[in-house]
Amino acid sequence: MIYKEWLKIRWFLAGSILVGLLAVAYIFMNAQRAITFQGANNLWYLILFQNYQFYSMLKYIPLLIGAGIGVAQYFPETVNKRIKLTFHLPLLENNAMLMMLGAGLVSLLISFILIIIAFWGLSITFFGDEMSSAAITTIFPWFLAGLAAYFLVALIVMEPLWKYRIFYALIALIFVPLYLNYGMAGAYAPINLKLALLTILISVSMLFSAYRFRKGEM
Amino acid sequence: MSNVIECNNLTHYYGKKLVYENLNIHVKEGSILGLLGKNGAGKTTTINILNGFLQPRSGECLIFGENTQKLTPKTKGRIGFLIEGHIQYSFMNIHQIEKFYSGFYPGWNNKPYWDLMSKLKVGANQKISSMSCGQRSQVALGLILAQDPDLLILDDFSMGLDPGYRRLFIDYLRAYAKAENKTIFTTSHIISDMERLIDDVLIMDYNRVLTQCPVGDFMRDFKQFNFDLLNDKVDLSKEKFVANFEKVKNKVELYTYESEEFVKKYLNEKGIETRNFQQVTMSLEDAFIGLTGKY
Repeated sequence: MIYKEWLKIRWFLAGSILVGLLAVAYIFMNAQRAITFQGANNLWYLILFQNYQFYSMLKYIPLLIGAGIGVAQYFPETVNKRIKLTFHLPLLENNAMLMMLGAGLVSLLISFILIIIAFWGLSITFFGDEMSSAAITTIFPWFLAGLAAYFLVALIVMEPLWKYRIFYALIALIFVPLYLNYGMAGAYAPINLKLALLTILISVSMLFSAYRFRKGEM
Repeated sequence: MSNVIECNNLTHYYGKKLVYENLNIHVKEGSILGLLGKNGAGKTTTINILNGFLQPRSGECLIFGENTQKLTPKTKGRIGFLIEGHIQYSFMNIHQIEKFYSGFYPGWNNKPYWDLMSKLKVGANQKISSMSCGQRSQVALGLILAQDPDLLILDDFSMGLDPGYRRLFIDYLRAYAKAENKTIFTTSHIISDMERLIDDVLIMDYNRVLTQCPVGDFMRDFKQFNFDLLNDKVDLSKEKFVANFEKVKNKVELYTYESEEFVKKYLNEKGIETRNFQQVTMSLEDAFIGLTGKY
């Protein structure tokens, strides 16, 4: 099962990691440029007192990666109702779905961890531990948004009825911005854990769409 | 001989539209049953219920004694399934798809698969999505043969295939099924293909089963008589012994399970004058159209 999922998402995953790492490189090239031309003091002042988030271009990248991997993984299953092939495999249907979900989640986590490690590594070189920790706390919900987008895209794409798809999409449009509200650096620290728990809660919602498909909703 | 498939009192609706009521189907081990019906008669519905992709309103289907809504992985491993249009994972090539499926089936035998692939002119890295429908049909068939299932469920296997591929598919399938005592449940739009493949026929019309019997018995018992009426106002369509009555002006096609003697005697007794009375030899397709009607 993991092999099948890998074949579907490998190029998108590789592209996503590349884009994420390039974005991180660009962020710190910008920081280097600001330090060179405007001075480190000025940049530190902007970050500490003007809430300048030098990493803000990273905000929607995890979201796009999550949604993109979700589409790359689940859309091919719905074309010509190809998901029937997966349901027909000698596995319990929910286990098959959880394996698919797990393969996508692990891929997503790998790409996110690589991007976060690159960001963290460069950030402590430029700004030290304290500011880097605040930055990580700030970007953490953006990556949770990526995971939420992945789970919600799975729920929407696997749903057999268009009216339900639209309903779920509206819920997603209300739900996902919760992770992306603008705030001071580190403002999300008190609720990051709760957001993570919320993300875990929606992680298996796709099983409902898969169940509805199996019962013949059309 | 035990039944591999057993559907009892199957009733299904789409919304308020009745698909069928109290449908009973039995498929014996080692037999090849062809399910025939017009578009919308419920063929794909039946296939979906058999595969557990659709919950019937009432009744149940058993495969190898298990309810198809709750098939265990072990039983699913004994069923080969061909989706209408030979749908497979089109983002894979023939090597990748064989590698993928081989991991799921302990008895996987890739020889028939590669035998079939060797007949195709496809590149090693060519994606299934870029293959012709005929080539895709061979990939799907090869995978089923490699799985070596005890039961094959084939949904409209002839869709999109040219005559050569259809013939290849049927000949390969029948030889395999008979040599290995496999059971097949199949549908097809092209009834001449079925004639070459099946042992038993099940003909469905809207909401009901018209017949289920060995195809040889059906072809022997179901008859077509053509004649010209001297009085073209005569209408026999309501008579009990008439399965179907097609009339264009005074030219009649009468379909029945009764004998020529019975029909002639009936016409005589009713004083219905005819000319050019003759029994017509039918193909399975003729008989199907005769039973279900042209419309």
